Amino acid sequence: MASWLDYTINGLIVGNVYALVAVGLALIFGVSRLINFAQGSIYLVGAYIGWVAVVQLHTPLPITIIFVAVVAALVGLIIERFGLRPLQNSVRIAPLLATIGISFVLDQLVMLTFSPNPRALPSQLPDVRFQLGGGTIGPLDLLIAGVGISSALSLFVFLRYSKLGWAVRAASQDRDAAMQMGVDVNRVNQAVFGIAAALGGVSGLLVGMYYNQIDTAMSLQATLKGVVAEVVGGAGNVPGAVVGSLLLGLVESYGVAVFGTSYRNLFAFLLLVVVLVLRPNGLFASARQAPPEPLTGTFIAPSRPVRIPRWALAVAVAAFAVLPLLPVSFYMLQTLINAWLLGMLALSLTLVAGTIGQVSLGHAALLAIGAYTSALLSLTLAVPVGLAIIAGGLMSAALGTILISPSFRLRGHYVSIATLAIGEIVSLVILNWESVTRGPIGISGIPPLSLFGYDLISPNSVYWFSFAVMVALALLQARLLSSHLGRSFRAIRDDDIAARAYGLSLNRYKSLAFIFGGFAAGVSGGIAAHLYSYINHETFNTQQSILALTVVILGGLGNVVGAVVGAVALVGLPEIFRIAAEYRILIYGIVLLLLVRFRPQGLLGTI
Amino acid sequence: MAEAHAPLLSLRGLTRRFGGLTAVDGIDLDLAKGGLVSIIGPNGAGKTTLFNLVTGLDRPDAGEVRFEGQDITGLSPERLAGGGIARTFQLGRVFGNLSVMDNVLIGAHTRLRAVKPAVPVIGPLLELGLALLRPSSVKAEEERLREEVKTILARFGERLLPRIDQPAYSLSYANRRRVEIARALALKPRLLLLDEPTAGMNPSETTEMQGLVAELKAEGLTILLIEHKLEMVMRLSDRVIVMDEGKKIAEGPGEEVRKDPKVIEAYLGHGLSGTAEQESAA
Amino acid sequence: MSNINRRTLVKGSLAAAIAGTALSRAAFADSAEPILLGVSGPLTGPNAQYGTQWKQGFDLALDEILAGGGINGRKLAYSFEDSQSDPRQSVAIAQKFISDPRIVLELGDFSSPASMAASPIYQRGGLVQFGFTNSHPDFTKGGDFMWSTSVSQADEQPLLAAYAVKKLGLKKLAVLHLNTDWGRTSRDYFNNAAKEYGAEIVVTEGYIAEERDFRSTLVRVRDANPDGLVLISYYSDGALIARQARQVGLKQVICAASSVYSPKFLELGGDAVEDVHVGTRYFPEDPRPEVQKFIAGFKKKYNGLEPDAFNAYAYDAMNMAAAVVKIGGTDRKAIRDAFTKVKDVPSVIFGAATFDVASRRVKGAMNAELVVRKGQFALWDGKPT
Repeated sequence: MASWLDYTINGLIVGNVYALVAVGLALIFGVSRLINFAQGSIYLVGAYIGWVAVVQLHTPLPITIIFVAVVAALVGLIIERFGLRPLQNSVRIAPLLATIGISFVLDQLVMLTFSPNPRALPSQLPDVRFQLGGGTIGPLDLLIAGVGISSALSLFVFLRYSKLGWAVRAASQDRDAAMQMGVDVNRVNQAVFGIAAALGGVSGLLVGMYYNQIDTAMSLQATLKGVVAEVVGGAGNVPGAVVGSLLLGLVESYGVAVFGTSYRNLFAFLLLVVVLVLRPNGLFASARQAPPEPLTGTFIAPSRPVRIPRWALAVAVAAFAVLPLLPVSFYMLQTLINAWLLGMLALSLTLVAGTIGQVSLGHAALLAIGAYTSALLSLTLAVPVGLAIIAGGLMSAALGTILISPSFRLRGHYVSIATLAIGEIVSLVILNWESVTRGPIGISGIPPLSLFGYDLISPNSVYWFSFAVMVALALLQARLLSSHLGRSFRAIRDDDIAARAYGLSLNRYKSLAFIFGGFAAGVSGGIAAHLYSYINHETFNTQQSILALTVVILGGLGNVVGAVVGAVALVGLPEIFRIAAEYRILIYGIVLLLLVRFRPQGLLGTI
Repeated sequence: MAEAHAPLLSLRGLTRRFGGLTAVDGIDLDLAKGGLVSIIGPNGAGKTTLFNLVTGLDRPDAGEVRFEGQDITGLSPERLAGGGIARTFQLGRVFGNLSVMDNVLIGAHTRLRAVKPAVPVIGPLLELGLALLRPSSVKAEEERLREEVKTILARFGERLLPRIDQPAYSLSYANRRRVEIARALALKPRLLLLDEPTAGMNPSETTEMQGLVAELKAEGLTILLIEHKLEMVMRLSDRVIVMDEGKKIAEGPGEEVRKDPKVIEAYLGHGLSGTAEQESAA
Repeated sequence: MSNINRRTLVKGSLAAAIAGTALSRAAFADSAEPILLGVSGPLTGPNAQYGTQWKQGFDLALDEILAGGGINGRKLAYSFEDSQSDPRQSVAIAQKFISDPRIVLELGDFSSPASMAASPIYQRGGLVQFGFTNSHPDFTKGGDFMWSTSVSQADEQPLLAAYAVKKLGLKKLAVLHLNTDWGRTSRDYFNNAAKEYGAEIVVTEGYIAEERDFRSTLVRVRDANPDGLVLISYYSDGALIARQARQVGLKQVICAASSVYSPKFLELGGDAVEDVHVGTRYFPEDPRPEVQKFIAGFKKKYNGLEPDAFNAYAYDAMNMAAAVVKIGGTDRKAIRDAFTKVKDVPSVIFGAATFDVASRRVKGAMNAELVVRKGQFALWDGKPT
């Protein structure tokens, strides 16, 4: 039983590490109701600034910490001033996307400056170890715990008892009222971002020293775990974030103890989903709250969609249909095939995120379900490929809807977090369910696309096939949107309370949206599986989900034509930017930021 | 009087607490078919919370709600809408990105035949199928409802009809309130709850709205009204209920209630009376 | 075999000479242009570090090839397309390379999903996909245009198992592996070989690439009471595990696969990787001339930087590509056929490398048994640690 003590200690130690990021996230959420996806990037910046200080400037630890805190706070202030403040009166989703864009830009800048190779960040504390249970802890463990707990406590005291803290809380309760009462909300935001960023930077430094290793991949992981811990503790609740982090650490550690290492993150994300479903406001929120205020018109940018005449659409479809007959390279056709596949995913996401307002960050899971279903059916049961793809679509519709249904009762950013977690869970189940999915080895030798017994292997035929499927799905979706269901979906998005008062069942219509959208995504995944001939758990990853969301925003939420235009643009642009090699993701991040800032309703407008 | 029959809506001991605050405290209320009862009281008296409890958006901690003799306490708002209870919201919750036409069509949602089958799984899938295939019966129903919406909008004269295809976010505040009422009427309600229908309207608009409510009452619609403008309350109500701090402090015909010292105390005691505030806002 | 070779070669140059006289301008342009290889690999995204390491290895090999007179007088060059190791991008790159007549051979991609998604396109397009880090057992099954110099795990892991079990005398092993296609395949080969040599596998734990905290995993390891830890890891996670193992008080012998062989492993692991045993394909003091040339050349070109395993894979791959192109010329089919003909190409990893025509892989990877002593990789002296 001594082992259980060790698992407990280890869980607390790693929870300690998560707490540093979670506290910063909680602080920002507390004031701006924003999940700051750039927090992990500030953490990354802090780690590399720390490396410069320790390895190149040879500063002693206290100076290193102050140096990192100051630089990170500056980065935070810049993000607040130029990245987020201009979006104050914008739509709710805009700041969330902006933080995603900012994190792309910061991560890429670090990568370009320091190269992607991992670096050692030696600890500046004496290497003494204290025996604790079966293992040992060192001075860094204590320092991290000290920083985590003391920052949470001092923030708590600051929020409760200082004047600025009072202003911060006032602004978080009701921004407009606070402004009327003379609170300088901008100053409050600046203070909060500065503090949170300083904290984030110092956590990157300390965690880097803790593992003696920093690399550019640490950013996303830190954000993911920090967000889980923060939401478990109750978004915006600073002491709750510390408790949530420790709980997350414990759950992971016990998960490893009982089921093994490869289940670790599965437990982290299951914890998140369970907490969101049972206690959507976190473990420490008061039991029942008054029904929330209306959110009319603030979810998506009010806009008049660009009306494209039918004949113009028909001409465009015809032009793309005859493209392979013209002297174009296979490379261009392949790029467009990718665009059509992404277009199907975007159609799916624009329906659930745009039309009914469930901003899913785990949409790649629907691709994976479709792909695995279709691949396995055609390989093991010799189901004809065409039927297998349809079965993949149906499976994605059914299973995807069931898996995502726990998030139906959530609102706003919580939906995004829940779907992100559900996406991760699907990917981890694929990794671990070896008897069906073949685990990390993946599925190879998937038969090529075929229709009625004819193999579609030439780029032309694959192009026509994927284009035809996408156009068919787009037409079907347009038809859906023009029916009473389209109206009902959009009503739920605009005001779910009023919609319920008029007899619209949220579960029913969210399910229908995911069933329809899940089918399109599943078909896209199925086609991809037969096109690639090999898939594994990494083929459909979180980056795909984020890319799809970018496509949807670019095209205009809920906009069918916009989804396709966005897909062509976002598959095409990185190909055009190939010339920029290492810089292309940076450019992509900047384009995303500019788009959110200057055209939040997307190219073709929201519908 | 109609009160002799079983009332259409009756509340008994309805109570709702938020933490330490009792927002609605043991409210009893009876509303006869075809009647109009107004609820007045200072801001924060619990009127809107009471509406939320009746329409299922919030659940009471104690007490019961009966509609046509049946216990509907704690039923979901979807089901209550299906049962013929429609409401408007204090803050004007229209669907901002939907056109005026679509906003009002949502009001008719519970009457759509495609929506009817309540069988789990198969019901929704049938609805999806009908929406995509759109057989002629579905098309005809949609056409009929569109005509009906135009008739409802015609009640507001030229306020809404010329803007029928405009998104609701582009409407004036007063027009949004009208869209809300039109949406409620499209449900063909048996009970209509109006939450401050004249908030933010100028005197002539208020008079217009008052005329409309009187017309609805004359057509036999049962109405529960929250209103600050006492002039309108006195004219329309069969009975007036006064709430303060969650409790019913007076009930009776308008003129009687107006003279009740407890009511005057409640309004004056709270300094800024809701009435004065609203009148000055208008 | 060599006769035919020479004959075709003579024929080829004859034909070239005749064509040269007829179309001298075209031929001149042809020989001035470098022979171009396509590289599909990650320069951005989570695997960006490996693309950078490839470039270092490629560039060194190209310098040497140019200094040695190029390919029959022509320069060899590559065009590196960033795929982020994403299958969606690697398939587009595949079409791009196929439709670019200057590309005679393709190298990469890095990860299995990215490489194997592009395989059908290369196979149908008739361009060799030379996946030099693709150890996935099914990679070369994609078709006769798929070739690989990635050390087959079926070859490598029994060598590691022999080191751990026979040489170090470990009988109860805990195996920690990256839970990827590479890690899983390696683990299976390792476990089978180790059992065959009489060891018992008391616990196996797979972890995902992003994992940083291994303390709880190591408690499981401790409770299984092994006498040795085997790491089927890359250098960054390998260093993390070694550090944390020492921190939680595990004192067992650690034995790691060749993929940790990198100066970064020593830098990131610090004191904790002291006495870690590593089975590798080459080591700095290896007297073989190709190894000495590689290490000296690498340090010279990159300011004293020590090369690592991925640098070596890339360096070998470029040299192999050069040898193949020397035989096959610039015709894509001839290049494929040249893979069956090329013999005993000097390489860091395999010594004299020759392809096995049936599996389209190279057999007989070199083996060196190293141990970390005083912060350096050194040849194991046979002393127990």
